Amino acid sequence: MSQTTSGSHNTATGMGVAGYAGGIRDVIVLELKQRLRSRGWYIMLGIWFLLTALVTWLTWASWNASQAYRTQGGDFGYVAGPTGPGSMIFEIVLAFVLLFALLVAPALSANAINGDRSGGTLAILQITLLTPGQILWGKFLAAWLAALAFLVTSTPFLIFGVVQGGLTPGHVIVALLMLTVEVGIVCAVGVGISALTARPLFSIVTTYLAVAALVFGTVISFGLGTGLTQGTIRANQANYSNSSPLVPEGEPAPPAYTCSGPLQEERVPRTERVAWLLAMNPYVVVADAIPYPDRAGGGYFYSGGAIESISQGARYAVAGPEGTYPCANGEPQDPYLSQTTPMWPLGLGLQLILAGLLIWLGWRSLLTPAHRLARGTRIA
Amino acid sequence: MQDGTDNNGSQAAAGRIREVPSADSPLPDGPLHEGPASGIIARGVSRSFGAVHAVEHMDFHAPAGKVTALIGPNGAGKTTLLLMLASLLAPDAGTIAVDGLNPSTQRAEVRRKVGWMPDTLGVWESLTAREILTQMARFYRLPKQGIPSRVADLLNLVRLADLADQPARVLSRGQQQRLSLARALIHDPSVLLLDEPASGLDPGSRVELRIMLRELAEAGKAIVVSSHVLSELDEIADGAVFVNQGRTVNKQTVEEATARGRRYAISAVDTESLSRKLTELGLAFRIESSRRPAVSLMLMNDDDAVRLLRGLILADVPVLSFAPASGALEETYMTLEVEQQ
Repeated sequence: MSQTTSGSHNTATGMGVAGYAGGIRDVIVLELKQRLRSRGWYIMLGIWFLLTALVTWLTWASWNASQAYRTQGGDFGYVAGPTGPGSMIFEIVLAFVLLFALLVAPALSANAINGDRSGGTLAILQITLLTPGQILWGKFLAAWLAALAFLVTSTPFLIFGVVQGGLTPGHVIVALLMLTVEVGIVCAVGVGISALTARPLFSIVTTYLAVAALVFGTVISFGLGTGLTQGTIRANQANYSNSSPLVPEGEPAPPAYTCSGPLQEERVPRTERVAWLLAMNPYVVVADAIPYPDRAGGGYFYSGGAIESISQGARYAVAGPEGTYPCANGEPQDPYLSQTTPMWPLGLGLQLILAGLLIWLGWRSLLTPAHRLARGTRIA
Repeated sequence: MQDGTDNNGSQAAAGRIREVPSADSPLPDGPLHEGPASGIIARGVSRSFGAVHAVEHMDFHAPAGKVTALIGPNGAGKTTLLLMLASLLAPDAGTIAVDGLNPSTQRAEVRRKVGWMPDTLGVWESLTAREILTQMARFYRLPKQGIPSRVADLLNLVRLADLADQPARVLSRGQQQRLSLARALIHDPSVLLLDEPASGLDPGSRVELRIMLRELAEAGKAIVVSSHVLSELDEIADGAVFVNQGRTVNKQTVEEATARGRRYAISAVDTESLSRKLTELGLAFRIESSRRPAVSLMLMNDDDAVRLLRGLILADVPVLSFAPASGALEETYMTLEVEQQ
């Protein structure tokens, strides 16, 4: 993120890459020593473990209950999907772990710089040979590591979800990897904001708002933005071969129609123009990155879980009417978008740009001798 | 201070003695043009925060091997000046040289030479004293094998060896202050910037600090001490720079301060007869409103004091006490306070 700028400092102060990394490691050691000695961190970790356990148990118990009910009768031809309960437990636990992680990461990161500033210890670091880049990287990595401890704590439950059926270890690995990255982005946002603001309370609230903007704001602004993207598309008449054209929302259907007739202008929302907003959503990024079986052109039989639905929904938005509207340009559309073009790199890239921008601004605010100070801050 | 009846004359006398030079007078004695400049030199330094001009065109010189006191009322710009000297804050105008190096362009070199003790303690509370010093040594990239012994030496120096493995939060304020001093000394800097180092120290620790600073100065370090405890500074400082409202208002050595006269306080069993005698001698004095009735007046030197005391005794004035009313630097400081009003 600020690699180039910190690189120029290397040469300025005559230290090599090893020296630069050594300084970062020293800052991480200092930070982690302090964190590991605060009781609050362990209490949070304990609460986290209990909450995740509770969610896992409730999911598992409710699935068992519904299974028991079903085997007693009253089941109208429902066939349990091939993924079994594992998919559901895994998905619900994953969703909660991501939620908790997004809630915990700001608390661990958003007072990293200004908390030290108000405690008078930031200037102690700044007066040494450490460069602003080393301080910032050290603080960021320490916050990230502290947040990763929470993910490690929740790993058994994700594995439990996989063991319950249907999923591969790859799911756990990809999920943990994406959770790690998402937590890292929130930590970077938190550290960046904390470097830019004077008061820890303000920066923590701001970071929570940033997380809320990513989780809810992206969905809301996508929904509202869609109304502003009214456009037209040329399409002709779809003739459905059977009499059940209404497909339950969110579920893909086979291209059970043919296209005929003259092309006409149709008014449609051009969702692809605002879909990048949706792509920034952490849930979309995680869901889209997790592999699920390719069902392109598959049958009506559907048992994909929430992850798959989120991923497909977001890809619909990205594809826009050109790729999803029935008989757009006279072509029948495959309602199921295959995973050949993943969209999570787009969302992750945008998130990285946001986090990188904040880290860069934070880095600038740590430059000494300082020319401009944020309003209401003191160097020491 | 509340003045007695005769304060006009006394004030005028004080005004005559304390001729405050203008801020842009040339720098005091200092090897400005000879060899590699040592110590700290700041010339025409200004810094403002928004509309607040914290430091305006300030000149400052702290030669190596000397203790220089930075004296001024709260908000005079002392801490801002120290932050600029410590290379944490960039001046809006003016130049700073630390051992001839420029803090804005030769940051790392300057930091190897500068030890800074902030007025806010800024202690990592969950770390032990030993860990704090070890971390600082690493941040200054001292050779790794020498760090444990260096840390142990400094802990002994500031008498924290017994508490070395206690978390810093259990240390008292004075102990944290001493730890902060050790932290500033960890990389053996040639320039020491101490912002209110004596605040919170018990009398014994103050004496120790005084001895330590004298030793460090004799070892050739340039030491800058900002403080309000002026009687302390009389004993430590070789020179003083007085600042007020962001400007350098006076520079003097302690000898100069003493030579400029000192205020003496005299008390007598019978203040009436004392006043009568002083008036008879034609001396300007003022009646101090302290717990014991006393008068005070300016005397130029020790001989004057001896003569006056002898005169009073011979005139049968029942003198109870006859002593300097304040430290030499405090005298100058009080004239600043007057000027501020």
